[in-house]
Amino acid sequence: MNTYHYDNQTVKSFIISSIFWGVVGIVVGLWISIQMWAPSWNVAPFFTFGRLRVVHTNSLAFGLGVGAIFGISYYILMRLTKRPLLFPRLARFHLYLFNAAIALAALSLFAGMNQSLEYAELEWPLDIGVVILWVIFAVNVFGTLVKRKEEQMYISLWYIIATVVAVAVLYIVNNLSVPAGLFKSYSMFAGVNSANVQWWYGHNAVGFVFTTPILAMFYYFLPKSTGLPIYSHRLSIVAFWSLVFAYLWTGAHHLVYTPLPDWIQTLAIVFTIFLIAPSWGSVINGFYTVAPEWEQMRTNYLTKFFILGITFYGLQTVQGPTQGLRVVSQLIHYTDWVPGHVHMGTLGWVTMTVTASMYYIIPKIYDTEIYSVKVANTHFYLVLVGQLIFSITMWITGIQQGALWKAVNPDGTLQYSFMEGLIKNYPFWQMRTAGGVIFTIGMLYFIYNIFMTIRKGSALEASTAKGV
Amino acid sequence: MADELDNIEEFEAKDTSNKLPVGWLILFWGLIAWGIIYFAAYTPAISGWSQAKAFEESTEKQTR
Ligand code: HEM
Ligand code: HEM
Repeated sequence: MNTYHYDNQTVKSFIISSIFWGVVGIVVGLWISIQMWAPSWNVAPFFTFGRLRVVHTNSLAFGLGVGAIFGISYYILMRLTKRPLLFPRLARFHLYLFNAAIALAALSLFAGMNQSLEYAELEWPLDIGVVILWVIFAVNVFGTLVKRKEEQMYISLWYIIATVVAVAVLYIVNNLSVPAGLFKSYSMFAGVNSANVQWWYGHNAVGFVFTTPILAMFYYFLPKSTGLPIYSHRLSIVAFWSLVFAYLWTGAHHLVYTPLPDWIQTLAIVFTIFLIAPSWGSVINGFYTVAPEWEQMRTNYLTKFFILGITFYGLQTVQGPTQGLRVVSQLIHYTDWVPGHVHMGTLGWVTMTVTASMYYIIPKIYDTEIYSVKVANTHFYLVLVGQLIFSITMWITGIQQGALWKAVNPDGTLQYSFMEGLIKNYPFWQMRTAGGVIFTIGMLYFIYNIFMTIRKGSALEASTAKGV
Repeated sequence: MADELDNIEEFEAKDTSNKLPVGWLILFWGLIAWGIIYFAAYTPAISGWSQAKAFEESTEKQTR
C-alpha cells in the first residue's frame, strides 16, 4: 500500500485563517447592525457605517469564504486525485499571501479607499495581489488535476474548476481600471455599461464564491460523513453544467427597472427563473441521498448540518429567482428584504456547510474524533435560530418598507414620508441585532469545539511521537 | 501515518446513479418553455411591451 502525505498543515492553516477573518467580519456585522438603530455607534472617520459595511462584506466573503474555499478545496482535491498537491510549497506561500492580502484589504477599506463597486471595492494594487493569489490557486488546482492518480473526476472537482475559471474572468473584467495614483483609479466602464458589468460580476460572485465551491464541499462531505453514496451521478452532472451555463447570464436581474435596455433585463430574468432547476437538482440529489437513512438526522450531527444547509440553499434558490421577477422586484428592491435574503444564504447555507466541513476535516487530520458532539449540536441550534430571526425580521420589515414607499394618495403624491417609513424599521433592526448575537454565540461554540479538537489532536500526536 | 484513500465508488450509488427524477425533468423543461414565452412577451422588439409604456399605464391608472 502506498503511503501518501497530504499537505494537511496548509489545509489546517487556511481553516484557522478563515475562522479568524470570520470572527472579524461577524463582530463588524454586529456592529453595523447596531449602527442602523443607534447612530452614535458611528465613530468617524474609520468606524462609520460606510467603511465598516465593506469591511464586513469583504472579510466574510473573501476572508471567511474564500479562505475556507482555498483550504477545503485543497483538502478535497488531494483526496479525489489521490495525490498530494503538485506544488506544496507554493500552497504555503499562497496561505501567507492570502492573509497578507486580506489584512491589507481591511486596512485600506478602513482608510476609505474604495472603487465604489460592490464586492470589488479594493483598489488596483490590491487587485493585482488578488489576481496573483488566484493564479497560484489555479496553478496548483490544474497542476494537481493533470497529474491525478484517479482517472474519474468526481463532481466536486468540476465545481472547483468552475470556481477557479469563473472567478478569474469575473474579477479581472470588473476591476479593469485606469490608475490615478497608488490609491485611486477610474473604472474602464461608465454609466449603464458600468452597472451591467458590475452586476454581472456581483451576481456571479454569489454564484462562484457562495454557490459552486460550497456545492463542491456539499457533494464531497455529505457522502463522507453519512457513508451514503450520492443518489444520482447523472443528476449531479446535468445540474452542474446547466447551473454554470445559466448563472453567467443572470446579473441584470439586479438592475430591474433601471435604464438598462428592457431586453437585457428580460433575458436575465429568463435565465434567473431557469436557475431553479439546476439548483434544485443538487437539493433533490442531497435529499434522495440521505432518504434511505433519515434517522441520521437524529443520530449523526453532520448529516443535520448538511441537510439543513442544502435546505436553505433550496429556499434561497427559489426566493432569489422570484426576486428577479419584475412584479416582486418593484416591491422588495432597495428594501431590507434583500439583507434577509442575503443572510439566509450566507448564514444558513454557506456558514452551515463550511463549518460542517471543518468539523469533518479537523478531527480527520489528527485521526481523532470531534471534541464534543453536544457542543456541535448547541452550535447548530443557535446559528439556526439566529439566522431565522435575522431573515424573518428583515423580510417583514422589507415588505412593509416597500408597501409604504409605494403607497400614494389619489392625487399621486406619496402617502408616507421617508422618515415615517424609516422609523418603522427600528424594532426589526433591533431584533436583527438580537438574532445576530444568538448566531455569534453559536459560532463561538463552533470555534471552541474546533480549538479543543485541535488541542486534543496535538496532544495525541505528541504522545504517539513519544511512543515511537 | 498512511492517509486514507478515497474510493470513487463510495461516492456514487450503483443502482440509481443514472436516474433523472421525472419531477425534476418536468421542472427543467417547463422552465425553459416558460422562459421562451416570457422572453417573447417582455421584449420590446417582439411584443411591443416596454418598461416605459408599462410605467405610463400604471400612473394613468393611479391618477384617474
Ligand atoms: C452576526 C452575524 C451578522 C450580522 C449581524 C450581519 C449584519 C449585516 C448588516 C447590518 C448588513 C448591512 C445591511 C444593509 O446595508 O442594510 C450586512 C450586509 C452583508 N452581510 Fe452580513 N451580517 C452577519 C453575518 C454575515 C456573514 C456570516 C456573511 C457571509 C458569509 C455576511 C455577508 C454579508 C453580505 C454579502 C452583505 C451585503 C448585502 C447586500 O449588499 O445586500 N454577513 N450584514
Ligand atoms: C438561483 C439562485 C439565486 C438567485 C436567482 C438570486 C437572485 C437574487 C436577486 C434577484 C437579488 C437582488 C435583489 C434586489 O436587490 O432586488 C439577489 C441579491 C443577493 N443574493 Fe441572491 N439569488 C440566488 C441565490 C443566492 C445565494 C445562494 C446566495 C448566497 C449567499 C445569494 C446571495 C445574495 C446576495 C449577497 C445578494 C445581495 C447583492 C447586493 O445587492 O449586494 N443569493 N439575489
